[in-house]
Amino acid sequence: MAEKTSDKIKYRILRFLDVTGFAVFDPIVRLCFGEDPKKQVEAIMKFIVIPIFFICFCVWIWWTVAPQHKTKSGEVPTPDIVKQSAAINHQFAHREDTKESDFLLVGEERAATLAEVEEEIAAASVILAEREAELATHEAAYTAQLEQRLAPLQAKLDTLKDANRTVAAEQKALIAAEAQKIEAGTGSTGALIAAIRTESASKDKGRAAETILKDQIDVIRSEKYKPMEAARLAVNAIADQVQFLNKRVDMLTSANRSIKVAAANDKLAETEAKLAEATSAKVALSEAKKLVRAEDSLERLEGQQYAKAMTVYLQVKRSLFTVFIGFIVAAVIAIPVGILCGLSRIAMACLTPIISIFKPVSPVVWLLIFQIVVGAFFPDPESHPFFLFFNSLPIVGDLGINPALVFSGCTVAMCAVWPALVNTALGVASIDKDHINVARVLKLNFWERLTKIIIPSAMPLVFAGLRISLGVGWMVLIAAEALSSSDGLGKFVWDEYQNGSSFSFANIIYACFVVGIIGFFLDRMMIVLQRFVSFDDGGTSL
Amino acid sequence: MSYLEIDNASIGFGPPNNRTEVLTDVNLSVEENEFVAIVGFSGAGKSTLISLLAGLTQPDKGEIRIGGKVIKEPSPRLGIMFQNYSLLPWLTVYENVALAVKQVFTEYNKVELREHVEKYVAMVSLTPALDKKPSELSGGMRQRASLARTLAMQPEVLLLDEPLSALDALTRAVIQDEIIRIWEDDKRTIVMITNDVDEAVLMADRIVPLTMGPSATLDTPFPVNLTRPRNRTTLNTNPEFRRLRNDISKYMVNLNEESKASSDTEDVVDLPDIMPIDFSVYPLQPARGRRREAFAKVAKVMDRETTFFK
Repeated sequence: MAEKTSDKIKYRILRFLDVTGFAVFDPIVRLCFGEDPKKQVEAIMKFIVIPIFFICFCVWIWWTVAPQHKTKSGEVPTPDIVKQSAAINHQFAHREDTKESDFLLVGEERAATLAEVEEEIAAASVILAEREAELATHEAAYTAQLEQRLAPLQAKLDTLKDANRTVAAEQKALIAAEAQKIEAGTGSTGALIAAIRTESASKDKGRAAETILKDQIDVIRSEKYKPMEAARLAVNAIADQVQFLNKRVDMLTSANRSIKVAAANDKLAETEAKLAEATSAKVALSEAKKLVRAEDSLERLEGQQYAKAMTVYLQVKRSLFTVFIGFIVAAVIAIPVGILCGLSRIAMACLTPIISIFKPVSPVVWLLIFQIVVGAFFPDPESHPFFLFFNSLPIVGDLGINPALVFSGCTVAMCAVWPALVNTALGVASIDKDHINVARVLKLNFWERLTKIIIPSAMPLVFAGLRISLGVGWMVLIAAEALSSSDGLGKFVWDEYQNGSSFSFANIIYACFVVGIIGFFLDRMMIVLQRFVSFDDGGTSL
Repeated sequence: MSYLEIDNASIGFGPPNNRTEVLTDVNLSVEENEFVAIVGFSGAGKSTLISLLAGLTQPDKGEIRIGGKVIKEPSPRLGIMFQNYSLLPWLTVYENVALAVKQVFTEYNKVELREHVEKYVAMVSLTPALDKKPSELSGGMRQRASLARTLAMQPEVLLLDEPLSALDALTRAVIQDEIIRIWEDDKRTIVMITNDVDEAVLMADRIVPLTMGPSATLDTPFPVNLTRPRNRTTLNTNPEFRRLRNDISKYMVNLNEESKASSDTEDVVDLPDIMPIDFSVYPLQPARGRRREAFAKVAKVMDRETTFFK
């Protein structure tokens, strides 16, 4: 009761850190509240500063080792390139959002935005011209210095080539002379063969000398001229910007929904007028048909949405959705079956072989099986009521539910079901005998025993199992998405691997971090849940 | 006919060819409102006996009756308080007690339930900890919560299985007084198992010793004729108390020796006759003069042929 408010706040924060598994930051909080600074600083040094140094060391190793290794897809990207690729992905997502909002803009707002964008284009074009000029000067400078450096080498090469050619002609003449001698009966075959050998040797020698010079030239050519490269990148960036702005103009004018709808309305009115004026049956019929078509297309246009390209954030959203679907299905199956196994030794004996055999099966195999088995339920997915229903839902529909997602979800569920099942069974089976005795003394019926004694007592282990399941599910999902081409992080990685642009490799590593960080937060979420249901106040492993 | 009767009950565990008889031919009759203490050594089968009384296990032979009816299964009429509390750790003290009360008094509405639970929690002086979980309580508080749960069921017979063995001496005294007070206020039959003779003499009307296992059985009871209320501070000087305590202790010690004697006859392991060497003659500094002689003596003692086993 005598606690100060600051203490209360402190302990609340510490408790929060403890529950969320961020107990590492404990000393920082304590230090902020001025509690035993010497001890806290020591703890911060030991458990925060030294680990940070270690991480920096690892990054440094990455930075130095990565460029040494040349691969087919270019150099292994360094951290700064990965960061850049993150920025590019973010920019792409942002642009898609802008385009979408442009597509939906109407009325004066649209006009205002259009004006703004056009102004921007004008400004950007000026910059583009400037940068292009800059690039041109750099290019000229580069070419000039290249010429200057290459000219002596080229001259040397030319003279060498000439010399080689003369030597070759001489040798050829010598061989011909030897051959003539044999015809005349004065020569010997030995001399002819010797002459041929000399010719080929001198040819090789000449070629080797040429190659050395050529290599030197190549090295000079392949040297990167930094200012020009930078200028080129700058030009590309601004050209990209201009292209994007032009696309925005499109979205605000011809491709804009309201504009399209207006055009369709005009057409409709025109057709209506024509129909009203129609005198002959033939004209009336054709105009009426046109009218119906125009009405249909108008309706379609009004409901049209911007077809957004898949950005990395959308992929993350879709992956999370898929993993939760799979995880929930796994939990819904695993918990009741696990309880049954824990309660009945017969059930356990029945299911043990199944669990043991199917638990180690690779997710890839499951995916293929589900593609065949579950795929058979949706011969025509476009018009299947299942997908029509899900795609008509407000938020879920935006993610584009398709068979590939169902297959990935099923694979996740299949692989995630085992840890939860085994742990639930263990939790139920290892219930304290004293608690069972309490239930017997209190004469609880089966249902009460289950809900009041067995399930609460198994809860910590059930959640430990669910935590492992979610981890497994997230890991499996990425592979399943890559293989089934279900939009998500897995597909993102796979696409990057396939398309091989200059940023592909960096994007893959970026995706690796995204997957890792999301996995980390999912795990933390489960730890918090586990803490809430565990009654023994015991810590959970990190 | 007595209220609670054990009639020639026997129980054992294990397969027929390797069977351990825990209790054989146990007979006990407890009158209504009597406080009986059963004392015995660890492993003698005390907990098995209380499980039999509670109906948690069935005897192989003989039967146990309450009010003339054979006990076939556990029921809230036989309130057992377990040795290791057995509180449900995911429920608060209130919820633990309420769970038991709901089972017995199914007709209670919410208010009545709350009143009933609070009354019994107050009886064991645990009201401040009403909404705490068992993990937040000390051993003594858990024991009291467990007692409150058992009492709240208002059982006809209270079976206490070493209720105080896990507690420190002070808490033990407090809860002893608590149990006696509750028993006096609200008379009912109590069978308490304990390994503490003092505790038994202090609390019980009658003390029944359990002989050493295996095949343990209950021996002749010692009636306790001390007047109530018994004052623990003056009890020590009470000649009757001392006599009774001595008798029972002597009896228990005898039991122990008898059981040892019976096991002594089986295998005797000869231990080596070991004598420690007197190291005090060791010099602490390099030997000079007379010390050198002593050193030579030690060297002789430490001779290769001299072993530690003389």
